Amino acid sequence: MQTVLATVLQQAQPQPLQSFYANNATIWGHMSDALHQSLYRVLSLLIAILPGILAFFTAVAACILIGLALSVLLRRGLTTAKFDERLAHGRGNVDWAPSASPTVLVARTCFWACVLLGLTIGASAFDAAYATATTLPNSLLPYLTRVVGAVLLLFAGTLIARFLARSILIGAVNMQLQYARFLSLGVKWLVLVLTAAMVLDHLQIGGDVVVLAFGILFGGIVLTLALAVGLGSRDLVSRSLESHGERSTERSAAPPNPPSTGADDSIRHF
Amino acid sequence: MQKPVGDCRKPYRLSIDFPSMVKVTMATANPISDITSASAPPGAGLLVLLAAMPPEQLESLLANLAASFPEEDLLVATPDENAADSHPDLRIVPAPATKSSWELTAADFVNAYHLAGKNEARAILMLGPESSSLAPSALRDLANAVIATSTDLAIPRYDLPPHAALVNSAILYPLSRALFASRARFPMAIDLGLSLRMVERLASAAQRFAPPSQGEVLLWPINEAAVAGFTIDEFDVGPRVLPQPEGPGLNTIFPMVTGSLFADIDAKAAFWQRPRLLPPAHYSTPPAPSTDPARDIAPMLEAFRLAYDNLQDIWRLVLPPKSLLGLKRLSVANAAAFHLSESLWARIVFDFLLAYRLRTINRGHLLGALIPLYLAWVASHINITASGTSPARHIEAVAAAFEADKPYLVSRWRWPDRFNP
Repeated sequence: MQTVLATVLQQAQPQPLQSFYANNATIWGHMSDALHQSLYRVLSLLIAILPGILAFFTAVAACILIGLALSVLLRRGLTTAKFDERLAHGRGNVDWAPSASPTVLVARTCFWACVLLGLTIGASAFDAAYATATTLPNSLLPYLTRVVGAVLLLFAGTLIARFLARSILIGAVNMQLQYARFLSLGVKWLVLVLTAAMVLDHLQIGGDVVVLAFGILFGGIVLTLALAVGLGSRDLVSRSLESHGERSTERSAAPPNPPSTGADDSIRHF
Repeated sequence: MQKPVGDCRKPYRLSIDFPSMVKVTMATANPISDITSASAPPGAGLLVLLAAMPPEQLESLLANLAASFPEEDLLVATPDENAADSHPDLRIVPAPATKSSWELTAADFVNAYHLAGKNEARAILMLGPESSSLAPSALRDLANAVIATSTDLAIPRYDLPPHAALVNSAILYPLSRALFASRARFPMAIDLGLSLRMVERLASAAQRFAPPSQGEVLLWPINEAAVAGFTIDEFDVGPRVLPQPEGPGLNTIFPMVTGSLFADIDAKAAFWQRPRLLPPAHYSTPPAPSTDPARDIAPMLEAFRLAYDNLQDIWRLVLPPKSLLGLKRLSVANAAAFHLSESLWARIVFDFLLAYRLRTINRGHLLGALIPLYLAWVASHINITASGTSPARHIEAVAAAFEADKPYLVSRWRWPDRFNP
């Protein structure tokens, strides 16, 4: 019995080792193939779009140089022709700031128009080169355009948040709300959270988690602000109602043409 | 007074010219009838353009006008359609109604110019709302100045209560005096005597704005007259009820008024940067009132302190460290000792004007951030007048501080990036 078992084991042991090594070699082979193919695809794509990239940079650089030259020429020409003075003539005394005179404005507009033209030409050349290379699937470059869009969204959102925060801070301070800073910060973060959610959504990061988290955060901030304003501005509302009531009473009771005695002691700003 | 310049001439001019002081004392003189007997042009001598006002005020004002001017020389333009029926003795024509209820806007000057041209008027008297409270002699003074003398802009000097027209006293008058070398006490007066060329100038200034917005745009006649080299005269017109803006409060009106003046100053920088001599004062500063009841400045101080706690980040973008230090000291001062010095106030206004020009921050934000500082000035002004100083004397001191600090404004206007402690 023992002999039989030993014989069976001796026959059975080498087989798994052989298949393992055989399979291992197959996996490495597949991996190597996959890597080679991937490298080939990427290199092929890069080679295909390289002329497009070069064309992009060449077009932008050339247009910047042309723009600079045109800007300098325009500035000199308009200064010689006394463009600012001619434009101001007939409009009374118009004082142009040195950094914002019509000459400078025209020169700058020309320069940036050239830059924009270069970007458009470059992007068009790049697009044509990339379109020929899209036989190979690659999602990296389209994603870069999303990143650019997300950066623009973030920039705009930050600007809007800052503007609104300042507007609300100044307005609330002038209305003498004690929680002006809190209100301003609340609105600022509200806009920033909204911007962050939009950016993540644009980048396709997070999926439903972002939407859910944004909903919770946004709702939380709105609720907090509503409670704070509702509870904090009771005095303001009552004061406003009282003053409105007093004003309407005064209007109904006041004579239509009050005499001016020069002894009115109330404070009048206008 | 500066001599009139330019191609446009008045239709004709009397050979006599009244000195300014005489003009004030000759309140009851009525040279219009003399002028018309000498040579009578076909049109009306004087066009009086009235603002919209309640019927009873209009009745009173028309009676004053009828008593003050000969009927054949007077043409009244009013938005009230029923006025002609109630006063058949006066020549009354319809005038377009404007939106404004408390100040003269660009649309009013455009209307005045069109009406003057249509009716061949030789001079225009514009009367704002509640002008029925003006004495007849005041109407005659303003009208006579532009019709019988070489004055292009006759501007009234109202006798107002001590704490009325405070925005005018704090900002408009000092800026106008320091930059445009005019002693006219009320640059935003709503009753004006205008020569033909003056109204033409104002109408052309108004034409820069689109017609729908003309009803909301303010013009600054003193600045326009100063730039054009026209003659400005001021006349003591006694007490007057000044209409107050209804609806929007200080937080809305203040940025509108100061923003308009700042924009006008920005546009006329080439003029005011040159040094000019201020004409001698014609009016003496009245003595302090015998009884000046104490007013509660606590709400204004509270507004300033709240702003100091919250708006420092914004003020820091506009004001230099020295001004911020002054404000810090003010924020901890008690109500009795609260005093915003004239030099600090002048510096604050100039720095805000510079920030307006440079667009350091959004202009709406900038002017909104000036409101608490203005309230601090009002509180300080009330404190000073309560201590026995005449309000007029304090306002003159403020205006003098603006004049003294003008080199700072000119310097920073030209070189904004220069070191500023």
